[in-house]
Amino acid sequence: MKNILLPIMGLLVIISGCREKYEPPLASLANSFLVVEGNIDPVNGQTLIRLTRTFKLDASATLVSESNAQVRVEGDDNSVYSLNSTGNGFYTGGLNLPTMNKYRLHIKTVNGKEYLSEFIQPKITPPVDSVGWRQTNEGVDFYVNAKDPSNATRYYKWDYEETWEIHSYYNADVIYENDSIRYRIPPGENVNVCWKSGVSSNILIANSNRLQEDIISEFPLLRIPKADERLAVRYSILVRQYALEPDAYSFFEIMKKNTEDIGSLFSPQPSELKGNIKCITDPGEYVIGFITLSSVERKRIFINRAEIQDWPFGQDCPTTTTARKKDSIKYYYQVAGLQPYTVDPATNIVFFSSPRCIDCTKRGGTLTKPVFW
Amino acid sequence: MGKQFIFLFLFTLLLNSILMGQEGQQRVTGKFDAASLPDFFRQLEKKGSFIFYYKESQLDPVAVHLTVDNMRLSDVLQKALEGSGLFFAVSGNRVFITKGTQIATSLPEDFFGSKNSTERNQPTNLITDTLLTTVKRAKATESKLISFGMKSGKKNPENNIITGYVRNARTGEPVLNASVYADSLHATTTDAYGHYSLSIPSGNSQLSIQVIGMKDIRLQLAVYADGNLDIEMDEEVRTLKEVIVSGRKTSNIRNVQMGVERLTIDNIRNIPTVFGEADVLRVIVSLPGVKTVGEASTGFNVRGGSVDQNLVLYNDATIYNPSHFFGLFSAFNPEVIKDIELYKSSIPAKYGGRLASVLEITSREGNKKRISGSAGIGLVTSRVHLEGPIEKDRSSFIFGGRTTYANWLLKLLPDEYKNSRASFQDINFSTSHKIDSNNNLYFTGYFSNDRFSLDGDTTYGYSNRNVNLKWKHNFSNRLVGIFITGYDQYAYTVDADRNKVNAFKLGFDIAQLNFKANFDYFINSKHSFDFGLSSIRYQLHPGYIEPNAASSVVQRDEIRTEQALESGLFLTHKFNANAKLSFSSGIRLSVFNYLGPNAINLYPPGQPITESNRVETKQYGKGKFIKTYLGPEFRFSARYAFSGTFSMKAAYNSLRQYIHLLSNTTIVAPTDIWKLSDPNIKPQRGEQFSVGLYKNFKSNTIETSIEFYYKKIHDYLDYKPGATLFLNHHVETEVINTRGKAYGLEILIKKPGGKLNGWISYTYSRILLQANDPTQGAVVNNGDFYPANYDKPNDITITGNFKVNHRFSFSLNSTYSTGRPITVPVGRYFYAGAERVLYSDRNAYRIPDYFRSDFSMNIEGNHKVNQKTHNSWTLGVYNMFGRRNPYSVYFVTENGLINGYKISIFGNVIPFINYNIRF
Repeated sequence: MKNILLPIMGLLVIISGCREKYEPPLASLANSFLVVEGNIDPVNGQTLIRLTRTFKLDASATLVSESNAQVRVEGDDNSVYSLNSTGNGFYTGGLNLPTMNKYRLHIKTVNGKEYLSEFIQPKITPPVDSVGWRQTNEGVDFYVNAKDPSNATRYYKWDYEETWEIHSYYNADVIYENDSIRYRIPPGENVNVCWKSGVSSNILIANSNRLQEDIISEFPLLRIPKADERLAVRYSILVRQYALEPDAYSFFEIMKKNTEDIGSLFSPQPSELKGNIKCITDPGEYVIGFITLSSVERKRIFINRAEIQDWPFGQDCPTTTTARKKDSIKYYYQVAGLQPYTVDPATNIVFFSSPRCIDCTKRGGTLTKPVFW
Repeated sequence: MGKQFIFLFLFTLLLNSILMGQEGQQRVTGKFDAASLPDFFRQLEKKGSFIFYYKESQLDPVAVHLTVDNMRLSDVLQKALEGSGLFFAVSGNRVFITKGTQIATSLPEDFFGSKNSTERNQPTNLITDTLLTTVKRAKATESKLISFGMKSGKKNPENNIITGYVRNARTGEPVLNASVYADSLHATTTDAYGHYSLSIPSGNSQLSIQVIGMKDIRLQLAVYADGNLDIEMDEEVRTLKEVIVSGRKTSNIRNVQMGVERLTIDNIRNIPTVFGEADVLRVIVSLPGVKTVGEASTGFNVRGGSVDQNLVLYNDATIYNPSHFFGLFSAFNPEVIKDIELYKSSIPAKYGGRLASVLEITSREGNKKRISGSAGIGLVTSRVHLEGPIEKDRSSFIFGGRTTYANWLLKLLPDEYKNSRASFQDINFSTSHKIDSNNNLYFTGYFSNDRFSLDGDTTYGYSNRNVNLKWKHNFSNRLVGIFITGYDQYAYTVDADRNKVNAFKLGFDIAQLNFKANFDYFINSKHSFDFGLSSIRYQLHPGYIEPNAASSVVQRDEIRTEQALESGLFLTHKFNANAKLSFSSGIRLSVFNYLGPNAINLYPPGQPITESNRVETKQYGKGKFIKTYLGPEFRFSARYAFSGTFSMKAAYNSLRQYIHLLSNTTIVAPTDIWKLSDPNIKPQRGEQFSVGLYKNFKSNTIETSIEFYYKKIHDYLDYKPGATLFLNHHVETEVINTRGKAYGLEILIKKPGGKLNGWISYTYSRILLQANDPTQGAVVNNGDFYPANYDKPNDITITGNFKVNHRFSFSLNSTYSTGRPITVPVGRYFYAGAERVLYSDRNAYRIPDYFRSDFSMNIEGNHKVNQKTHNSWTLGVYNMFGRRNPYSVYFVTENGLINGYKISIFGNVIPFINYNIRF
């Protein structure tokens, strides 16, 4: 009897993880519904609305923007403010709306369907209290603090834009041109300093309902993992804050739960997402989106590399050298796909490396310095 | 015929009191070594001045070796004649030895016509106390006649009532659910205390007592009056030969009730479970009509009922959370459980307050003869139990405890729970005390505790606490009363203290004080009544939150305490119209009073209950009846037996439920809260109609049944999208009332005993909900019926146990079911900087089907009787094919991409081993 036990005990060790990829065995939804996203800023005049369509689940499907629609903001005082299409489904306008009225969004798409939001009371957002960061073993965590001394806000939403400077590994002073190498002419031909940017991709919402004061303390915005490129030189984050009505908050909360939180053992099941926009020409049509009408408060902070410790960002940039001969240079440039970055005037040897080590635009950066930098 | 033989045939009755009370008192001392009974009698005759009268041909060749010291003659004879089927009677110095017929040595007291009929009944008690101690040991029991009353005396105009207890001869514990029947016409079963009442027509009849695991008993009765008859049964010792299961184990055919499932702990032990420990709730879900949403979920669903529609009673104490550790284990220690009974359809009128089912879990009574116990070690839990007499044959105790070391188990959970910790304990303690033959007292205490931390920061804890006291009183042979009072409590807390600004502690608890009085009144074999009243006083703290650190800015908040009184007055009439047709008609008047002090939000009638519609908040003082709900519930069932092995039954039930579990997660979590009905939240109501056919084959060794049911549920609670249920001062604005309908078909083929035993069950069932009232504020799936989360139409379970020999048996359990419904992504869209998932209608799709097989072996150590301890091993594999049954399917946005994942709990072959020791 005892002999049977040993192998059985051993088997216990083999028990492993139990989460697997799952492909739903079903046809994707054929219909594509209108998706309306955006905020009407009644005070600072930066209204941005985006119209897109839902698309199929399979990987080949891509985002379709709804362009050339007529989009306007209508007041309950019968005022009308048109928004301009700026491409890719974006509609903007510099509105300055009297905050005692209510407003709604009216959309007429090119296929003739009309959509209308509910009337919304403008909401004034309190200023961002502060944006902070803290370095941990895992990286740098950014957080936002918010407060409303009048206790009138309670529901908050944030999004952010991040911008960071990147430097090429090699400071290129030569350029390959017409099968030969010449020195670059600064500053126009410099490719060693770029800027990259990104936007938030999570729904960032919080409320202070459970607190005595209308305070949000250290709400986590994002974590930049250790050694990430973003903090290799200089980084900046612009945090936008929106005050929300409870129903808007609950819309974003459901969307967040449905798309970001689900899947742990006790997660709520997906709920129906009911926005504040309806199709008036076809009442049965499903529309996704919740238009908010809140003033936008902004806060930007910068972090220099010197302010953080131990950030082992590295680039793998081996160098290849060759004599400054036309055929050799052409071979390395065209066949090996390398770029020259410098020439030793004494020996006339050309130093090559991979383009992303030399030209920061190859790492997705842009050479234009942002105005706020 | 050497000896003089006197055949005195005055009566076929025996009044044992006469011979025990007045005769046979002569003392005998000596050593007897007799080769035969006549030899023994001769030796006795020499000792005293006795004369023995007997017929030698009736005496079996038996040697007698006996040493007695100043023993009464009657005791000496009893000892010597034990098992021989012989009777003796002593009159003066004359001793009559007879076979099959007892001689009375004096005339009955009312031989000449007594006016006082009560006197006539009294001697029967004495028979019970004296003669029956020999009955239990008799080998040829059929030849022994037990008499109640006098044939010649005044006959009971009605049938006679025989009552008593059936006990285990070895341990003194009551034997439950034993079939007791006379001439297979008048039948009953013993109750949870081993008590029975049987109506028998005057005359001779054969009384049979049968229960699985015990040797059948057959007694010859001559009944002319009411009487008490306690019976002790011997355990059936299985030999290497096939056990021959005797016929007439027909309670499934005869019982008027429908949809009742009974399992003893031995049945439960035979079913392999995930960690090898017998688990009550895991076995429940293998029964037809019982489902679960998955391995790690608290509770079970009966015939389309939600988890909170099951009343779980442990020795009559309400257990609010019957499981440990996300539902992976049931909270009942298998060492102290005696059996379980699940009522799916015919819920007796004495139970109320839940719509779907009543699960009665009964613990064993402690051994009344000697101290014994057991200890077990498994991979996840260890357990001990100890039982024994407090006062021999009168009072006993049983104690059980379990604890766990489950942290390693959490490694089986998905990665995000890697830093988790978990532990649980449970303790059971029961005592029983026999005050006298008419009064018994029972005490039960139960305590269970769970703590777990999923991410190292937040600690969850929950516990059940229950105590109750039961008094069983026999007013007469016809009227038995049970009085129960108890206190049940369930509480949970959540602690988080890592973030000093947000550190909090929150919690919930419910407590109830109950009183129940239940009477069984037995008129005759045609009519009996069960009536009584019950009352529950609830006190419920729906939730509180408070800061958990000095620096915390968390605001203290507490939802007002809820109080209510739920009462029921019930009456059931059992009517056996004839041998074929029986009825059970019950009514329960249930009353629910929502009590002050409290503050109630008022909404205009006919308008949606939303925050913006609130008119005012009305204050009510202490003890005020804020709202009263009142309604009758009907419980009716009928049986028609076409033959002794074939019957048809039909039943109608209506029920009301005043307490609701608020949960908007896919599966029920331990942190879900209970809510009492209040002026804004109506009680749930349910009705069920069912009909079934029952047929036994092969001398009743195979039981088959087919049952259909149709059920309607009114005012079942569902939730608005994104509802916040905890710490919500207006939770009524987050719920919607839905209608539900459920229907199904259950087929069961069962072989309850024998070398190969087990069952095959198939269930087809649907449960559909509908939320179509726009004034409620939320319409689901355009107001159409949609399947509930636990709607799993097809379900097949095969459970079998094969006893190779006395020491070795193996079990196989296989189950297949349709995957449960889920809401799945049907498209994508871009919002707030990322691609997001567009979901289908609620529960429009299903996860893949579930299939699992488990295997286990039981190996017993040797069975030498003189051994101090007996040990056994249980080993086996759970999910022997290692199938990764999806427990849940979910979709997440990861780095802007939508990925679908399925989680499998126990998605591998899981071997287990358990070691048990008994002493």
